[in-house]
Amino acid sequence: MTQINKTNKKNDLAQQQRNFISDCLSGKLTTENTLMAPYIDSSSISAQGLMGIYQGNAIANITNSLSLTYPVIEKLVGQDFFKATCRQFILIHWPTSGNMDDYGAEFANFLAEFEHAKHLLYLKDVARLEWGFHQSSLSDDASVTDWSTLANVTDILQLHFILAPTVNLISSTFPIDKIWLLNQENTPSEDLADIDLGNDKNNQSDTLLLLFRQQLKTVILPVSQGEFSLLQAFDKGQPFELAIVGATNKQASFSVDDSLKKLIELGVVCGFIENN
Amino acid sequence: MNKIKGVGIGLRHRHFKEFIENKPDVPWLEVHTENFFSKDSTSSKYLANIRQNYEISAHCVGMSLGSATLSCPVREQHLQKIKQTIAWLQPAMVSDHLSWSASDGVHYLPDLLPIPYTEEAFEVVTQNINHVQDVLQRQLLVENPSSYLAFVDSTMLEWDFLANLSKITGCGLLLDVNNIFVSAHNHGFDALAYLESIPVEAVKEIHLAGYSIDTIEGQEIYIDTHGQKVYDGVWQLYEKAIERFGAVPTLIEWDTDVPELSVLLDEKRKADAIIVKVLNKQIA
Repeated sequence: MTQINKTNKKNDLAQQQRNFISDCLSGKLTTENTLMAPYIDSSSISAQGLMGIYQGNAIANITNSLSLTYPVIEKLVGQDFFKATCRQFILIHWPTSGNMDDYGAEFANFLAEFEHAKHLLYLKDVARLEWGFHQSSLSDDASVTDWSTLANVTDILQLHFILAPTVNLISSTFPIDKIWLLNQENTPSEDLADIDLGNDKNNQSDTLLLLFRQQLKTVILPVSQGEFSLLQAFDKGQPFELAIVGATNKQASFSVDDSLKKLIELGVVCGFIENN
Repeated sequence: MNKIKGVGIGLRHRHFKEFIENKPDVPWLEVHTENFFSKDSTSSKYLANIRQNYEISAHCVGMSLGSATLSCPVREQHLQKIKQTIAWLQPAMVSDHLSWSASDGVHYLPDLLPIPYTEEAFEVVTQNINHVQDVLQRQLLVENPSSYLAFVDSTMLEWDFLANLSKITGCGLLLDVNNIFVSAHNHGFDALAYLESIPVEAVKEIHLAGYSIDTIEGQEIYIDTHGQKVYDGVWQLYEKAIERFGAVPTLIEWDTDVPELSVLLDEKRKADAIIVKVLNKQIA
């Protein structure tokens, strides 16, 4: 054990801990900028050397958490680039919760602005998809609804349909569902050349995705423009009538009966309320 | 009476299906409580299934018992989530570390950060443990940390700090033999003297894991990475621990680069053999 100094600085602990976190998350440590230097025994190893161990461990732990949430991004950019990108992200976005499942929501926007990655235009949307997938996997189950009571409703057009907590809606001008699928472990390898990663499709045929959970599996389901609009309207709490108008405007051939039946059977629409 | 006996294994995601389908012969499993905060999540559903066949110990990493800020919304929220998780998981034991992670309730590092062994820190940790035990309405086990630096204003030795915490708060101790070995190397203290200073009745669980070796400014530092097999020196220290504390429930921990389950089962069998060896020696 190192030599024990009997001088105890009362009420110093809170400041020490602020300094500790600052040293771990402020970037390169030097003799001049290591805030913990006055508090630690540096007789064998310098303060920046010792704090560097904690900085390395902290950044590795947070990177590991991001890697679990964004495995496809890691695969797309490669492990080394991913680590370097995470380091820059972490130094800007310090964790604020003890639950690391909450961490990383800003990663998609960061990638869009990160100078070494922003030319890869599809990365932001793939990251949004992965964050949505992560959220769907963690969400609560929906409570059980007795759908037979729907028959007693006087004006179905004024109903507000409720989406299951696991539902996430994501749109992109890139084929992000295919990119995601091709980067899963169990997907047979196909030719990536089939996927156009370079060009925005000018909204002609956007990828519209519904994410939700069925038992132990999180599902990524492409949906039509009408369905996507209907789901967005439900998500905003709009009444059924307004949701139908919006969906039909987006897709003239949209069949609300077929879609609603499908969405209820899938558990995506999990209930309704009569008054907002 | 403790429902957990023998040598258990830390349950990790890649082994979920194997525990559900093959039900390997392991007396108990330990989980990181924070990975199951959402009761309906996919991971929690797997765990609920596994729980039907195995006793569980809930090992927490984020209560931040050493945080100087005694009460803050972020930490209280975290504690409430632990309480909710424990309510459905019904673990036989609940533990966390003699360390901190949250500063001012604003920033958080997912790591087990060291505290100075001062009177102020002792007061802080005592109040935090009392609060946690009040909220959870059960005994908490507190794990000794591994550390890479020493504070110049420490006035107590780590083992005395832990022994006194146990005495004052009634918490149990989770003795991580690998952490003692790692810290003994990094700080140059006698690991056996550490073991001998810990009150026998306080130790409710033992952890075993692997460490990695790094070189900083020409000095060899052991880092507690939980990514390797248990080293020979740690096995030898474990044998001394079993001699002193008896057949305390023991856990094989592996957190990074988690291997196939068979590797962990081999490590478990080594621990089993040491317990049998020590007990036979004591009977003879």
